[in-house]
Amino acid sequence: MTWMGCGVTTSFDLRLARGTILYGKWHGGRYEVQRLLGEGANGKVFLVSHRGRSYALKVGADAADLQSEINVLRAITDTKSRSGEPFLVHVDDFTHYPGRDYCFYVMQYIQGSSMTEYLQREGSEWYSLLGVHLLRQLAELHQEGWVFGDLKLDNVLVSQYGRAHLIDYGGVTAIGKSVRQFTELYDRGYWSAGSRRADPAYDLFSLAVLLIQVMEDRRLAQLLKSRDRSVNALLALVKESVTLAPFGEWFGKALSGGFNSAREASAAWQSRYRTRSSARQRKKSGSRWLFRAFAVSVLMLAATAIWYLNV
Amino acid sequence: MKQILLITDGCSNVGMNPVTAAAHAYAEGITVNVVGVLDQGDLGEAGATEINEISKAGGGLSRLVHTKELARTVQMMTRKTVMHTIQNAVHKELKQVLGDSSLESLPPEKRGEVVRVMDELGETAKLRVALLIDASASMKPKLQAVEEAIKDLMLSLQSRQGESELSVFHFPGGKHGEGAALDMGWTRSMKDIPALFSRLQMQGTTPTGPAIMEVIDFYRKDDYGRGHRDDMDGLRSDYVV
Ligand SMILES: Nc1ncnc2c1ncn2[C@@H]1O[C@H](COP(=O)(O)OP(=O)(O)OP(=O)(O)O)[C@@H](O)[C@H]1O
Ligand SMILES: [Mg+2]
Repeated sequence: MTWMGCGVTTSFDLRLARGTILYGKWHGGRYEVQRLLGEGANGKVFLVSHRGRSYALKVGADAADLQSEINVLRAITDTKSRSGEPFLVHVDDFTHYPGRDYCFYVMQYIQGSSMTEYLQREGSEWYSLLGVHLLRQLAELHQEGWVFGDLKLDNVLVSQYGRAHLIDYGGVTAIGKSVRQFTELYDRGYWSAGSRRADPAYDLFSLAVLLIQVMEDRRLAQLLKSRDRSVNALLALVKESVTLAPFGEWFGKALSGGFNSAREASAAWQSRYRTRSSARQRKKSGSRWLFRAFAVSVLMLAATAIWYLNV
Repeated sequence: MKQILLITDGCSNVGMNPVTAAAHAYAEGITVNVVGVLDQGDLGEAGATEINEISKAGGGLSRLVHTKELARTVQMMTRKTVMHTIQNAVHKELKQVLGDSSLESLPPEKRGEVVRVMDELGETAKLRVALLIDASASMKPKLQAVEEAIKDLMLSLQSRQGESELSVFHFPGGKHGEGAALDMGWTRSMKDIPALFSRLQMQGTTPTGPAIMEVIDFYRKDDYGRGHRDDMDGLRSDYVV
């Protein structure tokens, strides 16, 4: 979005060619730009190399906005540092050619694709595992008193073996405050299903819309055209869909604030998955399919185990 | 914090220059934002310029959008303006302390603390938004979208921790087609929003300037009645270093 008016950057047209070296103004790090990874309303993210490793570097369009994202990442990284490497690596500024300073932070690079691309490439057996990973991350955030806020297709990257990661912490909001950033399609208020005050159910609502969207993109688009924006319309869509129907009860609860926590929602999601896969196994066989199903359930088991150990 | 949000689709054609009126508002601590709604074609260069000028004089933002983007724009503009009002106040403080007003002049570690305070203020400061709706004949097909946008804004305001109030005016109002008419006084919750425009008579002229002046007057009387000091000043002394 571009804005006209006072004191606002009218657009953010920073371009950094491959091979550009950025020097941190305060801490002196050296980052070599490889390519643009993506951009959004708040900035641009570049793949950079630093001391022989790859990282993602986000340049903010607005210093204050980027800083509040950094504040959140700091708070989260502090509480999570025991479980492996921190996500947030460095924070600094660089000066670019016309003499302007840009704020940036450096985070871990997540090599992955969008949920829709992943499912298209690897098959829809991986669908429920994506849900497991997202629910686990939401549960961790909620436990620390935060809500993710802007959960949407763009803000999830899926790496190997269906590992779905939340990226873009610009919408993360302390529980009880008003959600800092949201996208209409996934917003509880937009569907007249509740407030914009941050609570765990807000994220679960967005997740439900996202999990509908990745399977039934067309039907969802049709629903939006019909202008019947309601939870009931979404649930009718779930019922009509072969893939989603088995999760009907789960969607019903997630869309109406029926889960008390992401952990509860996670348990319900996984039990759906187990009953569904055993029902399918009886009907269908085929070595490749069986192998995949086996791989998926091993991964699910691992994910569950790791989760219980962590939380 | 006080805001006026003007929603219009054309040029003013009666009374005082709206740019002057917006400058008056800003001088009284009211920020003026403008949304131009256009569905077919555009509102011409003169209209676009006027919208931009009004928002500049009023210290706010302006945007041209289609009706389907109206709710989102109104919501984001209000939020952005809250943050800018706070940023401006903080920049003044920084200038006094450091001699440089930009956030970037602070080392990243200190910046974090300043922004944390700014975010906290954005969430908790008292906020009033007066919506001023152009109800000239050409706006008629857009009023449903306007009504949806009002409800959507109320939803966002209600979710803030700070006290937030919304009022709605349309113009032209009154018997002589001058100024603005009040549709809804200061309101804090969704359930108190009446059906706003169902019985509205659409008229021809667009007295944007006089309408802005009338809203300023409304704020003035209100402040007098409540005996309030400027909210931002009160908060600033509490929070900022
Ligand atoms: N850590 C990362 N690893 C790999 N790619 C990333 C990473 N972070 C961001 N990206 C890519 O950059 C894009 C934009 O990043 P991000 O969502 O943080 O920007 P934004 O301006 O905050 O966007 P939004 O408009 O959603 O607020 C992402 O959609 C993603 O494709
Ligand atoms: Mg994003």
